[in-house]
Amino acid sequence: MCFFVSFPGNFSETDGLDMNSPHFLERLRILYTKILGVLQNIPKDAAYRKYTEQIVNQRFNLVQTETDVQKLQDKLNSGHIEEVIVQAENELSLARKMVQWKPWEPLVEEPPSDQWRWPI
Amino acid sequence: MGRSGGRDGGCPWWVCRELVATVRPKNEVEQKQLCVFGEYVAEILPKYIQQAQVTCFNELELLIHPDGIIPVLTFLRDHTNFKSLADLTAVDVPSRQYRFEIVYNLLSLRFNSRIRVKTYTDELTPIDSAVSVHKAANWYEREVWDMYGVFFANHPDLRRILTDYGFEGHPFRKDFPLSGYVEVRYDDEVKRVVAEPVELSQEFRKFDLNSPWEAFPAYRAAPEPLKIEAGAKKEDAK
Repeated sequence: MCFFVSFPGNFSETDGLDMNSPHFLERLRILYTKILGVLQNIPKDAAYRKYTEQIVNQRFNLVQTETDVQKLQDKLNSGHIEEVIVQAENELSLARKMVQWKPWEPLVEEPPSDQWRWPI
Repeated sequence: MGRSGGRDGGCPWWVCRELVATVRPKNEVEQKQLCVFGEYVAEILPKYIQQAQVTCFNELELLIHPDGIIPVLTFLRDHTNFKSLADLTAVDVPSRQYRFEIVYNLLSLRFNSRIRVKTYTDELTPIDSAVSVHKAANWYEREVWDMYGVFFANHPDLRRILTDYGFEGHPFRKDFPLSGYVEVRYDDEVKRVVAEPVELSQEFRKFDLNSPWEAFPAYRAAPEPLKIEAGAKKEDAK
């Protein structure tokens, strides 16, 4: 992936696609809506749901308000738009797995008292 | 630095004027950031994280229950951006109940930071394989299996990687001797390499590996207070 070579014209630096196509924003909107939908299955007081909803809503609002992809990339400050899409896809798959794992429950098992003592 | 310094009145650089210890300066900002991040992760995953600590060298460590390896590693890879598994090793501490401590070192390329995840297990309990989360764990887990004997469940291909083909034993365990149990030599009669029990001459037989100096004087265990047990009642002297 060429990050440091500048192409003439308004092309996305990574894929050579036309950057202003509505494809990117549409995909982001779909992904963020799906993430928020999956998060509804998590209890409201879980820290994961709180923080992820905060992040996703923030990004969602930016995507809704900003139509120019270049400016959106700058505002999000998270790399190229394709990377933002990949991040959202990862977050979606993680949210689905979190619903099954339920990591907000209290600790499974305490370690033995000398387990984490150092020096021995 | 260099020859152009005029402040010292032309004194060459190798003449010591003051001795200043070259110690890495403490980076308080990074320490605080790592503390905050450690608290964030511990708040999100309280089911698995038993402890979170930041060493004095600004290294964040998460101490985890073994059930939580795949959830924690997936969370760190997908939510926070630790996409690279830099290392997967084990530490053998035979005096503990769960003697092996499995250590995962993760690296975030985007944020240029590292994190360490530690779990525990004993000789017989299997641990979930991290291959489903990071492909790099494949050979690392084979190495830990070969050297320590820690079994990884759901590993695609768990076999020996460093030891010889018929080798018995797990060399990195603390109870495995330094020179091993077998040595190999070429036998001319059978025209091949044979493995025989190791023969040490008397000079090499002294296994006194303890150092005469105390290792960690700052961490001396407090001496146990003497317990005074109630003895038999004294008979009145008549």
